Amino acid sequence: MIEVKNVTKKYGNFVALDDISFKINEGEIIGLLGPNGAGKSTTMNIITGYIEQTSGEVIVAGYDMEKKAKKAKREIGYMPEGVPLYTDLTVKEFVTYMAELKRVNRKEKKEKVQQILKETGLEDVQKKLIRNLSRGYKQRVSMAGALVGDPKILILDEPTVGLDPKQITEIRSLIKRLGKKHTVILSSHILSEVSQICNKVIIINKGKIVATDTPDNLEKKVVGNNTIYVTVEDTEGKIDKVKDKIKGLKSIELVKENEDKTKQYVLEADKNVDLRKKVFEQFAKEGITIFEMKKADATLEDAFMKIIDEGGKK
Amino acid sequence: MGAILKKEFKAYFLTPVGYVFIGLFLILFSMFFNIDVLADGFSNFEYIFYSGASLLTFIVPILTMRTFAEERKTGTEQLILTSPVSILKIVLAKFIAAMLVILVTELCTLMYFGILCYFGKPHLLTALTTLFGFFLLAMAYVSFGIFASSITENQIIAGVITIGFFMFSWFLPDLSPIFSGFSLINLLTKFLVGQIDITAVVSLVSFTLMCLLLTIIFIQRRKSVR
Repeated sequence: MIEVKNVTKKYGNFVALDDISFKINEGEIIGLLGPNGAGKSTTMNIITGYIEQTSGEVIVAGYDMEKKAKKAKREIGYMPEGVPLYTDLTVKEFVTYMAELKRVNRKEKKEKVQQILKETGLEDVQKKLIRNLSRGYKQRVSMAGALVGDPKILILDEPTVGLDPKQITEIRSLIKRLGKKHTVILSSHILSEVSQICNKVIIINKGKIVATDTPDNLEKKVVGNNTIYVTVEDTEGKIDKVKDKIKGLKSIELVKENEDKTKQYVLEADKNVDLRKKVFEQFAKEGITIFEMKKADATLEDAFMKIIDEGGKK
Repeated sequence: MGAILKKEFKAYFLTPVGYVFIGLFLILFSMFFNIDVLADGFSNFEYIFYSGASLLTFIVPILTMRTFAEERKTGTEQLILTSPVSILKIVLAKFIAAMLVILVTELCTLMYFGILCYFGKPHLLTALTTLFGFFLLAMAYVSFGIFASSITENQIIAGVITIGFFMFSWFLPDLSPIFSGFSLINLLTKFLVGQIDITAVVSLVSFTLMCLLLTIIFIQRRKSVR
């Protein structure tokens, strides 16, 4: 659906994107992830044809963005960063304008606009001036503008920035629903968001792609050690003796002492070793009572930080 | 293109811009009508335009300064530049929308012709060549104003550049007679005596085309440096 081939973007001597290549298939929801200034928006602006790459090729729905811009642009619905809108227009006027820009058939126009207003939950405010809307509604208006004209591809630049938690969940479920009919690219620096919505993540840092994978795989990749948290009652202080008796256990460290005299420890083991069974048995033998035991999962957050750090060291 | 044209024209009247432009024009024009025509007892419609044309210098920027500068500042240019409409059509749509406002204004000036008809016999053909020449001059002015708006994201700067250029072009012949052909406003005088001067028509139309072309090139160029 979208092919980005060896795209480089330079501003003078500054390299904003350095030889980026990736491919997005139909029906995928892709998350572009990266710290601020990594090149997410630049990538999106190039795909949408707003700016031109210094070198490389962008092919959208089979059309070259440079040579067949008109046809390529027709397949894209774009929600730019910072939701730029014509604030002097009403919601309905704006969506109708976007429909006209995208050449929606005149007969279907009214119906399509109403359908989109309904889909994005804007029916009640359609006659309001955009300037009088709250941030959350503006975001939705921008989304409606991107949706109009049934584009095959939706490109959403930071769609949930500046929203309250309720609005964020609403927008996320809207994006998920849209993902069934469209190919979606969204950018974000919020990791939980990406892991919830997307089925593939592209991590960009300093203008380079540092990782491309599913959220699950990315998490697995970074799991170095197996970490277990246990909360125990250990009145006789036997926990230190346990360490040598369990094979594969690398370290035991006290995390905190609770008020009810239980203590929480963190146990580290080698990769791919699950110690929970052994810990349970050995602790019981020593007369240490386990109140709670849980395996710590590596989060996408960890994955992200690690990948970014590695990229920095290279 | 139709969509942008419609929206741009509507925007002039959704915001105060259109009303300020037409209102200001008519108030000052009425003043010149009184000073240059009525007070001296003439019945020549075209006489208003000798002073009246200089008004364009100061009020055309009101119309044109926001065209591209505002879109660039608020980021809405991303919406039009990523839509399947070519830059040529975007520029033309904005140009035509502004010219429609000028046309409305010109139609309003017909009331002065009506008033003169009541008191005397103004020359119809001269009035028509005057209106035609005025329209061509406005075209040249508007196109330059749009060009100025496309090179900056600051409306005020776009406006100042526009006024500056018009005044420069206005007084250039006073510097040396060599430049007499370079003054846009001087080209109008031929039309005011009832002639359609081909040199003037070609000059004004080609200046307009040049400005529109520069605007297109500028916006196109910015794609790669933005």
